[in-house]
Amino acid sequence: MLTMLKQILQENWQWRHQIWDLAKIDLVKRYRGAALGKIWLFTRPAIYMLVYWFTLSVGMRHSADVNGQPFLLWLAAGVFPWFFMSDAINTGSDIYHRYPYLVNRLKFPLSVISTFYTLSIMIIFVCTMAITIGVCLLVGVHISRYVLQLPLVMIIMFVFWTAWSIMLSPLGAVSKDFANLIKTLSMPFFWLSGILFQLTSLPPIGQKIMTFNPVAWCAEAVRSCFIYKQWIWERPEELIPFLIVFLVVVLLALRNFKRLYKEVPDVL
Amino acid sequence: MSSKIHETAIDYGDAKIIRDEDRTNPVAVRFDHVRKTYKLYKNDRQRLLATFSSRIKCDYINASDDLTFTCKRGEALAFLGDNGAGKSTALKMITGVCFPTLGTIEVHGRVSALLELSAGFDMRLSGMENIRMRCQLWGLSEKEAEELIPSIVEFSELGKYIDQPMRTYSSGMRARLGFAFASSIKPDILVVDEALSVGDRKFSAKCRKRVNDIIQNENVTVLFVTHSTAQAKQFCSRGIVLSHGKTLFEGNIDDAVEFYENT
Repeated sequence: MLTMLKQILQENWQWRHQIWDLAKIDLVKRYRGAALGKIWLFTRPAIYMLVYWFTLSVGMRHSADVNGQPFLLWLAAGVFPWFFMSDAINTGSDIYHRYPYLVNRLKFPLSVISTFYTLSIMIIFVCTMAITIGVCLLVGVHISRYVLQLPLVMIIMFVFWTAWSIMLSPLGAVSKDFANLIKTLSMPFFWLSGILFQLTSLPPIGQKIMTFNPVAWCAEAVRSCFIYKQWIWERPEELIPFLIVFLVVVLLALRNFKRLYKEVPDVL
Repeated sequence: MSSKIHETAIDYGDAKIIRDEDRTNPVAVRFDHVRKTYKLYKNDRQRLLATFSSRIKCDYINASDDLTFTCKRGEALAFLGDNGAGKSTALKMITGVCFPTLGTIEVHGRVSALLELSAGFDMRLSGMENIRMRCQLWGLSEKEAEELIPSIVEFSELGKYIDQPMRTYSSGMRARLGFAFASSIKPDILVVDEALSVGDRKFSAKCRKRVNDIIQNENVTVLFVTHSTAQAKQFCSRGIVLSHGKTLFEGNIDDAVEFYENT
C-alpha cells in the first residue's frame, strides 16, 4: 500500500509540468468546435443557476435569506461546487475512457490522468467562485473573513475527488456496467445532498447519515465560507465523518489501483 | 526536462522493469526470461468480480513466454514471426504501455514508437494541437517544440489540414502525422511495427528513407517488426525469430531470414 502511494505521488511529481498543460488541453477539448469558445465553460453553470433560482424562488416561493445572506448566494455556494463534483462523479469515475490513447498508446502514468482531469474541472470551479465573490463585492453583499478558508476547502476537494477518480476509474475501465452504475448514482447524490435544500430540515437520523456523504460535506464546506460564517473545524461532528470517508476512499483507491493498473491497458 | 535523467526501477510483483535515460549504456534493451500473460474472462462481469474475489476462474494466454534477448546500442534488430508470435507484445513492453507478468526488462534511453500510427491521437483536437500535446508529453520545452513543429508539419504533407480537427482526417492522414511525429523527435530507441506502408507509394518511400537515415545514425537503436523479409534485410543487421512467444533463433539477419523462411 505505502509503496503504491509513494509510486503515485512520485509519478505526479515527475509529470507536474505536463499536468498543468494537460488540464488546459482538457478545457480546450470541452469547447472545441463551438464558435463562442470559452464562454461555454461558464454558460452552463450560469443557465442552471438561473433555472434553479427561478424554480425555487418564483415557482416554489422559497427564497428566504439564509443566516442573513441572500438566497441567491446560498444557492450559488452549493450549485457551483456541485458542478465540479458532478463532473468528478460522471467523468472522473471513468476517466480512462476519456483518454484511451494515454492508457494504451503512449507511455503515461495512469494516476496522473485522474490528477489533470480533476485539475481541469477545478479551474472552472475556481473561476465560478471568483466570479461569485466579484458579484458579491459589486452589489455590496458582505463577505466575511471566513472566505479565507475557501482555498483550503478547494485543496481538500481536489485531493478527495482525485482519489475518488483513482479509486473508481480502474473498475470503470474493466466493466462498462460499473461506470454506468456510478453515473446513475450522480442524480440521487444531487437531490439528497442538500444542494437545493437546507440539510437542517432533514430529520436527525437523516442529518447523521448525510455527514458521511462527501458531496454534502463539500457543498456545506463552501457554504461555511459564505453563509454560515464558521471555520470548517468548528463543526467536528461533520468534519470527522468526512475525514473517515476520505481515508476509506484513499485506501480503496490504493487497493483498486494496485490490483488493476497493469491490467487496464490490456482491456481498454 | 529532456536533459534530466531519471531512473526508475520498479518491482511489479514477480516482474522487474529498469528504465532510465542513460544513452551511454552499451546495452539498449534487454529481456530476461520475460513472460506476458493475458487473462481472458468470459465477460466483463467476471473480470469485475475477479477484482473482489480470487475465486473467479479465467483462462490464461502467454503472449510472450520466457523471452530472452539483448539489443546493443546502435544495433538494428528485426523481429520475425507469424501472426500471434508475440512480436507486438514484446514491442509494447519496450515502449512501456503494457507490463510484463514475469521476468526482467531493461530499457536504457528514450523510446519512440511507430506502432499503430493512426492511433494515439485525440480526435476532438486539431492536428496541430495533438502535435503540441505530444511534444509536451515527450518532455520538450516550448522553445524546442516550436523549432520542431514546422518540420513535422512539412514532413506529414498535411498543409492547411493541420488546423482541422483530427476526426475529419482520413486514416492515411493520421498515419502520416503519426509517422512524422514519432520519427522527428530524435529518440534513443526507435520501435517500428510494420509502419512503413504508410500512405501512397511516394510517401512510403519517403518513410523508408527517413527510417534508413535514423538507422545510419549509430547512436540510435532500432527494433523492427515486419512480415517482409526483404525490408528486414534492407534495414537490419540482426534478427530474432519468434514463435508462440518464445525465441526460436537469434543471429545475424541473413541466417535469421533463412531460418524463418524454412520453418
